[in-house]
Amino acid sequence: MSADKYEVIIIGGGPSGLAAAYKLAQAGVEVVLVERGDYCGSKNLSGGVFYTRVLDQLIPGFWEEAPVERYITNYVTALMDKEDYFNLEYKGQALSKAPYNAFSVLRAKFDRWLAEKAEEAGAMLVNGIKVEKVLKEGNKITGIVAGDEEMMADVVIAADGINSFIAQEAGLRGPIKLEHLAVGAKALIELPREKIEERFRLTGNEGTAYAMLGEASHGVAGGAFLYTNIDSLSIGVVLRLDDLVKSGVKPAEVLDDLLEHPMIAPLVKDGKMVEYGAHLTAEGGLHMIPSQLVADGFIMVGDAAGFTINSGLVIRGMDLAVGSGMAAAEAIIEAKEKNDFSASALSAYKRRLDESFVMKDLKTYAKAPIFMENDRLYKSYPKLANDLFGKVYNHDLTPKKHLLKTALDALKENKISIFDLALDGFKGVRAL
Amino acid sequence: MSLMKNVWVFSDKQDILAEICAGAHQLGERVTALLIGNQSTADEVIKAGADHVYLMGELDGSRMVEDFLPTIEKLVEDHKPELIIFGNTKRGKLMAGRLAAKRGTSVLADVIEFAEDGTCKRRVYGGAAISTIKSNAEVAIATVGSGVFGPQSLDESRQGTTEKVEFIPADSKIKCLERRAKGSVTVNLTAAKRVVAVGRGFAEKEDLKMAEELAELIGAEIACTRPIAEGLDWLPRERYVGVSGVMFKPDLYIALGISGQIQHMVGCNQSKTIIAINKDKAAPIFKQVDYGIVGDLYKVLPTLIEKLKAGK
Amino acid sequence: MNVITCYKIVPDDQDIIVHEDRTLGLEKAELEIGQYDLPAIEAGMKVVADAGGKVSALSVGSKHLENTKLKKAVLSRGPDDLYLVVDDSLADADTHQTARTLAAAIKKIGNADLIICGEGSSDLYAQQVGAQLGELLGMATINAVSKITVEGDKVIVERTLEDEVEVLEVSLPAVISVTTDIIQPRIPSMKEVLSAGKKPVTQWNLADIGLADNPKTMETINTLAPELAERKLIINEGDSEEVVDQLLANLRQELQ
Repeated sequence: MSADKYEVIIIGGGPSGLAAAYKLAQAGVEVVLVERGDYCGSKNLSGGVFYTRVLDQLIPGFWEEAPVERYITNYVTALMDKEDYFNLEYKGQALSKAPYNAFSVLRAKFDRWLAEKAEEAGAMLVNGIKVEKVLKEGNKITGIVAGDEEMMADVVIAADGINSFIAQEAGLRGPIKLEHLAVGAKALIELPREKIEERFRLTGNEGTAYAMLGEASHGVAGGAFLYTNIDSLSIGVVLRLDDLVKSGVKPAEVLDDLLEHPMIAPLVKDGKMVEYGAHLTAEGGLHMIPSQLVADGFIMVGDAAGFTINSGLVIRGMDLAVGSGMAAAEAIIEAKEKNDFSASALSAYKRRLDESFVMKDLKTYAKAPIFMENDRLYKSYPKLANDLFGKVYNHDLTPKKHLLKTALDALKENKISIFDLALDGFKGVRAL
Repeated sequence: MSLMKNVWVFSDKQDILAEICAGAHQLGERVTALLIGNQSTADEVIKAGADHVYLMGELDGSRMVEDFLPTIEKLVEDHKPELIIFGNTKRGKLMAGRLAAKRGTSVLADVIEFAEDGTCKRRVYGGAAISTIKSNAEVAIATVGSGVFGPQSLDESRQGTTEKVEFIPADSKIKCLERRAKGSVTVNLTAAKRVVAVGRGFAEKEDLKMAEELAELIGAEIACTRPIAEGLDWLPRERYVGVSGVMFKPDLYIALGISGQIQHMVGCNQSKTIIAINKDKAAPIFKQVDYGIVGDLYKVLPTLIEKLKAGK
Repeated sequence: MNVITCYKIVPDDQDIIVHEDRTLGLEKAELEIGQYDLPAIEAGMKVVADAGGKVSALSVGSKHLENTKLKKAVLSRGPDDLYLVVDDSLADADTHQTARTLAAAIKKIGNADLIICGEGSSDLYAQQVGAQLGELLGMATINAVSKITVEGDKVIVERTLEDEVEVLEVSLPAVISVTTDIIQPRIPSMKEVLSAGKKPVTQWNLADIGLADNPKTMETINTLAPELAERKLIINEGDSEEVVDQLLANLRQELQ
């Protein structure tokens, strides 16, 4: 092996790249990972809640040493109007036991730790360098270019995240449609852990995850989230890019308003805003995944491959990233045995994805994005829910009506037909 | 506080030497200057505040200032003043350091304040904090910048003594081949009463012209934050506020596009009035202003300049 | 030519937290190579590029020096090898202690022709160690150097002072403190980063370099963020005429 050629070069040090690096290094494959940030995690942002069963497969018992925040035991779905809100809260005791189901994470800390694990396993990390292009020989990808430096590899893994330039540059995907992208704006608010546990009714390291719809996004397609970390809250808004552009609304303003909403304000009171960030995220699900995930000497993983699911109730990306990183590593290990890194040899990657939760879940939720394009979700239903319950609980001496009549009145006032409601409900429970 | 018996002063620059001699009376009963010069310059130094002058000789073409170090070392060893202060020019820092090494001690570097209990203060962490330090040495060695002792005046009638001392040749391994005048940046921020400071809120170097216009209209000096001087290099380093050793006490300080990080604010927090314009309402600077505008400086500044011009 | 470049590992001052009692919190600060040391390392690389030879990097301090990322960060900038003197007592060493430790290490490394230091450490910035080091080693010592040219067993340097530039002939061996103008530090390439981990690192403690006794020469009594003056905090939002008028009225008062 000449000094300038490595077995695998991974572009990007997020969960997908690092999972692949870790697994490859463990198998004794020579792997270099190039990350443009000064450290892995410095350029990454996520809400975020990580569904970690797959991480337990990669690194069993990770929670003993990984800097994860709280394990999520409580889930709140909130339909918000301008000042009113209607919430459903679920707490599952089963969610509070190892191996745990999901953790809130802070990516600057978490990715950094995962990078250390990859290095300990033998992966070579290079930070602070942005890979601009891949090297090609005909249709075969043979390496990478950064500045005026070239490095060759048997396989290049594109793990460079949402809006992957490398995938576009390698000719495997075109520019992403605006309706498949969203802008997430997030604030990190520090609060002593006792306050968090008191306000959210948590014990020890339990955590809660809020999914908010309606006024939270000023009627723009999208929603808001709030996650409890050990001694801080991650709160943010996710606004679908095409709708955002149309509405002329600014993410920072939407977030500011959210922090002042009667539901949220008491939860963040006296907290100290320590960070503010924004990042692109994917909304397209299965439909934004390019038809070709591999080429000769090339594999795409994680957000770069469009592996995200937004089912409104649950947002996933990190688990799919790790899952796809592991699948890519396994495919490469297989290909290495035959010394064949062509697209057909690497298609073992696609096969593994199909057999795993990654592709299966992406297919299950394939209809979610289309369903989520329904304006009524953001503009009408949250208001409807609040109006309905407002009527139910209002006792202002006007004569009361039965629930059915009350509901029909609410529908009429909000100009929603029973038919639409029924159809939306039907579509919803089959898409989400 | 009881004053020290003897405080000695040295600088390669006449004006700094004079200033420190005058100020050293706050610390010592008897102020002695170590002078490279002649009787006439010695007389000037006495008028400025020295009680005694050791005349070490003159700079002829062959000698460098640093060559006088062995002479200074011997004088210090023979007389052991409690404190010797070097003006903090680059030469002063080098000589103070070499003297300290020879005497087995450290230098109290860039002191901004001497306290009554023998301790002194200096800026650290890029200006974010102030350390109080004290020397363990028999002879404390310090470097001090202009402005630390406050303005002093010349006393024509002052009397003092001069003593010629023998120049001890230096075994110098350094020879001066050439000296060139430098286009020196004549910026004296320490003396500025009004300052307009620029920060990262400015997108392009050309945009600084607006700030310069404002400065001219109100008779202010231009200053800047570290990234502008060191990172982007839009302004010379002498204009950077926050570096240790720069004493700074203007009446008016206008911060444009500056976020207000601690390092910078320490440099200017002695200002009588602080005004800031910044588009980020959460910028730390707004916790330390008298008057502020949360707005786009590219809109506010031209409007402000227009109105100032109109009003005048 | 054997060149030794000295550096210090310091906390990133952007990460400094000020506590309620005005003391500083540095525990969470990222550690980095001092910003004034980077041009010094690069200047060393240029000297051997021009005159042939080898560059060794040297640092003395606490266990922080053992951090793999930091060691690689130094080695990825070109030095052939790295020497470290690690002892917890060096965590808050004064400039004299640092200079003595460096001097002892340099004597042990042996055969140094040129020692290059930054103009000061980016945390405490006393700008003293270079000057003291040269004196302790009995070598020619000079600071404020903005250009180095090798000529046989001497170097010709340009020294940028306040009002003038001196061109000096300095006999080797010498200790030179350089300004940031001397050369732009490189951004390490991928290859340099990857090969850094393979370069030799020699680590000593104080006893190894014969410096069991290294007493303090000064005390730091405290380090505090300054008290903030009480300010009026009259702040208006927006770029409208009214807002500017308001400011102008206040400004005019101050200009009186």
